[in-house]
Amino acid sequence: MRGTTQIKAPAPFPRQARRWAHDNLFGGVANTLLTVVTSLFLVFALYQILRFVFVTAEWEVIEANRRLFFLGRFPVGEEWRIWPPILLVSALAGLTVGLRTRLDLRSTIMMVLWLAVGLTPVFLFFAHGTVGILTAAAVGLAALGYIGARIWLQDSRYVALIGQLVLASWLLTFPLALVLLVGFGGADTSLGIDGVDPSRWGGFHLNILLAVVAIVASFPLGVLLALGRTSSFPVFRVASTIYIELIRGVPLITILLMAWLVLPDFLPSFSVPVLAPSGLDDIELVYRVMVALTLFSAAYVAEIVRGGLQAVPRGQIEAAQALGMSTARILALIVLPQALRAVIPALVGQFISLFKDTSLVFIVGLTEMLRAGRAVAQGQIEFSGREMEVLLFVGLVFWIVAFSMSRLSQQLERNLGVGER
Amino acid sequence: MAGTTIGRLSLWRNVRVQRFVIQAAFAGALAAFGYYLIDQARDLELGFDFLEGRAGFDISHQFGTSYNRNDSRLDLYIAGIVNTIRLAGVGIVLATLLGLAAGVARLSGNWLVSRVATVYVETVRNTPLLVQILFWYIAVFLQLPRISESINFPPDRISFLPFFDVPFISFDLAFLSVRGLALPWATTNDGFSLWLIFLAVAAAASIAVRFWRGRRQERTGQPSYPNWWLLGTFAAIALVGFAIAGGPLDPERPVVGERSYDGGIRLTAEFTALLVALVTYTGAFIAEIVRGSLQAVPKGQTEASAALGLSPFQRLGLVILPQALRIMIPPLTSQYLNLTKNSSLAVAIAFPELVGVSRTIINNTGQAIPMFAIVMATYLLMSLAISLVMNTFHWRLTREGG
Repeated sequence: MRGTTQIKAPAPFPRQARRWAHDNLFGGVANTLLTVVTSLFLVFALYQILRFVFVTAEWEVIEANRRLFFLGRFPVGEEWRIWPPILLVSALAGLTVGLRTRLDLRSTIMMVLWLAVGLTPVFLFFAHGTVGILTAAAVGLAALGYIGARIWLQDSRYVALIGQLVLASWLLTFPLALVLLVGFGGADTSLGIDGVDPSRWGGFHLNILLAVVAIVASFPLGVLLALGRTSSFPVFRVASTIYIELIRGVPLITILLMAWLVLPDFLPSFSVPVLAPSGLDDIELVYRVMVALTLFSAAYVAEIVRGGLQAVPRGQIEAAQALGMSTARILALIVLPQALRAVIPALVGQFISLFKDTSLVFIVGLTEMLRAGRAVAQGQIEFSGREMEVLLFVGLVFWIVAFSMSRLSQQLERNLGVGER
Repeated sequence: MAGTTIGRLSLWRNVRVQRFVIQAAFAGALAAFGYYLIDQARDLELGFDFLEGRAGFDISHQFGTSYNRNDSRLDLYIAGIVNTIRLAGVGIVLATLLGLAAGVARLSGNWLVSRVATVYVETVRNTPLLVQILFWYIAVFLQLPRISESINFPPDRISFLPFFDVPFISFDLAFLSVRGLALPWATTNDGFSLWLIFLAVAAAASIAVRFWRGRRQERTGQPSYPNWWLLGTFAAIALVGFAIAGGPLDPERPVVGERSYDGGIRLTAEFTALLVALVTYTGAFIAEIVRGSLQAVPKGQTEASAALGLSPFQRLGLVILPQALRIMIPPLTSQYLNLTKNSSLAVAIAFPELVGVSRTIINNTGQAIPMFAIVMATYLLMSLAISLVMNTFHWRLTREGG
């Protein structure tokens, strides 16, 4: 230390801790009282929770029914259809995060810890045998993608090309998943590749499927509606406004119930290959629910995108017009990129809420995860009365996905520098 | 010359013609779609006559309505609307209080308090509301003891963890069981109308006094505490009136009966579970709004008011909150609308609100399309009403602040 610049030595730990406790817990009478009351409450709550989780609760109900929770009444022997998209998505997610983000060491450690904490119970209780190997493969692919992208790709000359390849693969996962599930030409085709009857789709798989379909489909529709609402054409403006306000003024349940009870009356009776072989008015409820979720979500996406459109400075449009760009080019190259970038956090928020809302198809009778859980608690005598365990588990699974999505969106927000320029 | 150029422009290159043609084509397509829908609906024999028919079944929850199975379906629907309004109204008030508390707690300097608030917000916000409603109803309220073994409040004994157990108050104000929640309330007697007159006088007088004290403060610059004077005047006249009217309110404690509670306010398990779920869920979102808008007030405002010698409470009440409120109101309005719409999830536990009774009516009559039209119109009207109230409030806030 002698001879170098004087560095103030940090206070020894006990004093530091004492100062921290004084600043954050015991500064003043009111603060101390607050701390004491909160601690009492916390001790009580933690005692009750831990006692339930480790003593009272009987978690066999979850382990014994894990197939029902995640796949509903999906036919046995057809599970292979689900895994390729999961593996692909894992690898792509790892690649994307690795390419897009510049995580510092602290965030990386936090992420690894978070994953370890989350995955340990998964492997302990759920993922046995083949499922365990495939789950491990998915995690491994994600990690490989992430590490590979960080070490080799992020600094490579072809980073832009790789980025586009990844994007294209993302766009491909969705058709791949659907084709694997639906098959080519439905159950009675001579093409040789049949699908799984949509009425057998279920469990958490169905929640994810509904959410992804509605997100993918409602995004372009929402952008169109937003453009319509801000258009200079009065007819477009009025029509979009009425649609958006009508949908947003009504609960999702009424729209789902209408898709269930009313929609078939208005559909024509010609048959559509693959989707509705016995006539469009006899189309499976799952597809109708997908339409309902899409139409519902589009109105909310439209309002978010409209906010982004309004945030684009007028000068940008005027400058583009001065350059002689056509309206379509101005929209595609100048306005939309800026508008969408500004509203990414809000869009992710909307998609999280849409994902949570997929549990509502419970009410129209689809066997998504919540209904599967209710069926377990009501239908299996050996597990009757295990309502608390089932509902906590269902809530936990939704929470893990929604919470991770919201954290990822915060990270994305920071990396995009939204609100900083 | 320019004019002649435009005149010679071919028709399909004229922007005005283009705009007209595009819009006409779109309107035409919409009209054709509308015609198709009407055409499809024509053979369904729709109408609104079914509303006058006898409903034919009872509902489990009513509040202020006296519907029975022999009344018309319209009466049933109105009972459903009242249930929705009651759920949403109580829910909005409680969610606002909870959200305010949790939002302020998240910003608290007390580390423990802000952590607890964060855990609450992040847990509740990221779980589907329907799961929470079923959790509260099935896993909590339906597991409560039978009515004869009601949990009472205040408790007879306080037992805390396995090692702490002491006797406490043996005077019961509220009960909780699988039959629901019973709370103390007051009933009115003959003197009530007289007291109402006193209350009206008190309101008028206190507003006048506030105006007078406000003017005095503006004129002299002396602190004249107009709001304290308002409260004081109102309380004084109301109390005198209360005495003169001979105590127009009789406090009433609930009593445990054979199969239900008597007296007080009685909330069923369904209603209470829904309320708890809706309030905690919406409260978490409101907490985020409150936190965001409190943080949006520039730090200099707090520092400046501290430099002027205002106490922490005065800082919050006079400087920070009024500014934060203006930012808060628009997102708060949309949370209120969400809560109202989310109350329709009550169908899942068979609570007869708007959507629930409509489902039954549709099952009995098959008139799905007109019924959904009515339901949508009702929700739109309610949304409009809430927006109107909140926008007026917002307008007044922004106008007064200048």
